Amino acid sequence: MTINSENTKAQMRKGVLELCILSILSKGDAYPTEIIEKLKDTKLVVVEGTLYPLLTRLKNTGLLNYRWEESTSGPPRKYYKLTEIGEQYLKELQVSWQELVNAVNKTIESGNI
Amino acid sequence: MNKTVTINISGIIFHIEEDAFEKLSKYLGTIKGYFSKTDGGNEIMSDIEARIAEMLQSKVNAVKQVVLMADVDSVIETMGRPEEFAGEETTDKTEQEEETKSYSEPVKKRMFRDPDSKAIGGVCSGIAAYFDVDVVWIRLAMFLLIFFGGVSLWVYIILWIVIPEAKTTAEKLAMRGEKIDINNISKTVKEEAEQLKKRMEKYGNDFRNNPDTRNFFDKLGDFIKEFIILFSKFFVRIVGLVLLVFGVIFMLGLMSTVFGFSIMGTNTEFNDWVNLFFLERSHYTLGMIGITLFLGVPVLMMIYGGVKLLFRIHYSNRWLNLSAGVIWLVGFVIALFVGITTGKDFGNAGKVKEQVQLVQHDTLYLTLNESKEILSGLKINNDDYEDNHHIHLKHRHRHSNDYMVGKDGDKKHIVGYASLDIVPSLTDNFELYVIKKARGEDKRAATERAKMIEYKVFQKDSTITFDEVFTVSGDEKFRVQEVQLILKVPRNKVVHLDKKLEHFLSDVENVTNTFDGDMVGRRWIMEKEGLECIDCQGLDMDADFPAPPKPPLPPGDINVDAKDANIKIDKDGIKIITKDADVNIGKKKSE
Repeated sequence: MTINSENTKAQMRKGVLELCILSILSKGDAYPTEIIEKLKDTKLVVVEGTLYPLLTRLKNTGLLNYRWEESTSGPPRKYYKLTEIGEQYLKELQVSWQELVNAVNKTIESGNI
Repeated sequence: MNKTVTINISGIIFHIEEDAFEKLSKYLGTIKGYFSKTDGGNEIMSDIEARIAEMLQSKVNAVKQVVLMADVDSVIETMGRPEEFAGEETTDKTEQEEETKSYSEPVKKRMFRDPDSKAIGGVCSGIAAYFDVDVVWIRLAMFLLIFFGGVSLWVYIILWIVIPEAKTTAEKLAMRGEKIDINNISKTVKEEAEQLKKRMEKYGNDFRNNPDTRNFFDKLGDFIKEFIILFSKFFVRIVGLVLLVFGVIFMLGLMSTVFGFSIMGTNTEFNDWVNLFFLERSHYTLGMIGITLFLGVPVLMMIYGGVKLLFRIHYSNRWLNLSAGVIWLVGFVIALFVGITTGKDFGNAGKVKEQVQLVQHDTLYLTLNESKEILSGLKINNDDYEDNHHIHLKHRHRHSNDYMVGKDGDKKHIVGYASLDIVPSLTDNFELYVIKKARGEDKRAATERAKMIEYKVFQKDSTITFDEVFTVSGDEKFRVQEVQLILKVPRNKVVHLDKKLEHFLSDVENVTNTFDGDMVGRRWIMEKEGLECIDCQGLDMDADFPAPPKPPLPPGDINVDAKDANIKIDKDGIKIITKDADVNIGKKKSE
């Protein structure tokens, strides 16, 4: 049973991860590590590995752009930024998210009565 | 002491312990394995390696120069186990693989009903997607086949049942035959996000309206509402088609009319009339332009609107609509202006009444100076008169509405037919009046015009000869000029109507209600009640039954006029008419 609920939780997290990444980037450009930090701050726990394929996918669909930044502590890093399309997409996702939250909350409430 | 391996990750050199190296190797190998099939997998790999390199760099320094197992464990913990992130990618893939043959191979196209673009059931849009045609043509074909082609409506319903609806993203892509990959999924996901948003709104509304009491009738109502909405979307396209078809038909009609008129413009006779009718030539041209715009603009807009509705084009340019409206209005105003200006000149009637002095007799013989005599010198309607006259003679109707243009070299004349009415006189005398009528912008102008009408009638002994036609100089405009003659006959006096007057009479009242055509060639006497026929024996509808051939008689009648008696000898016998009595010496009526 634990495995199943973990699976579901992971699914839920995975569902919203895109939204969260886009939201973080809408507040300013960031490196992947910075994004992870911000996610950790909000208690949304994901492993770093999850981020990279997602970031690459978002970049391939044109929602994100990056530029290379030299780093003193290692190889050059990708500095990600939200594109215009990304901003629009983010807005849509935010609306959907809000509606989803409302709907789900209502369901939970009425389920609990 | 331990063995060290030198590796480079992302271009950075590391010294790493052997067992740590094994673990790291295996780790990276597993990840690579998961991402090898992904688009952009190489990029992901290098990103991950770069991050790993970064992390490892922070773990080594001048004192501790080698990467140890613990470091690798730490990195793996931070980065995550391959199944945690890469594995999730694969699970997605497996789901998709269940629905399609393989991840990145081109997908075999399957037919689905398209739920995102349905007019009724999505049948036509599904078929259109499968064949890669625009859905309009499929819908049109379906409509025509069902309603005009004899294909049963049940075919559509069966298709609706049999063809499945594309519900998942993968099914939708399969419907269009597109390769399933990140890019496509993202596109359809975006579209679905939209749909989801709309459905969320709907659900939100429904929840607000107390979901628990939605019973059957509510659901039925919803279904009917949806159906009506979808159907009216479909219907709108049909309306568009109808508009388009009729618009084209009207346009063709309009164009051929305009073309016809422009050809007419080269016809001299038409031109003559135009010049005589309109105050100025420009009015005619303006009028034509005005009417063309007035009719043409709506027809064009019909076609335009029809095309937009039919092909679901939502283009709406307000400048276009505005200018179309303005042009139409301009056309309307022009046509109105020409109409009113020209019409005003017809607005009022005027007449001139002249009395012709007559020498009194007991019987007056009325005859006609036929048009062919009067007009012999003129070209009528651009032909010599002879040709036209034959044509006119064929018609058995009054000529009062026929007008002609006669040309005498450069001079033009308007020619019209006069008419004669015979009524009782209030005195003991024959009285003859010539009434000339015309129209103009006011009574004075109309009367002036009437005065310009030229008409001749003269009396020789007891014969009055009327001109069949009147003329007006071509410098004047055509303004429905008329000439009416009134002959007043006193009691007990007689008039003889020559046969030539057949079409000249204007429904002369008589006691026996005889038609004008039958009145001519006979004599009529004015009695108390009206005109009575004197020599109407044999007047019946015997045109179809010709009388048996009679022995030839001397041609014509013999009339002898004395001061107060009249002797007529004709085929019916001898008739002597005096003031006091008539004497008939005639053939006995046939047995």
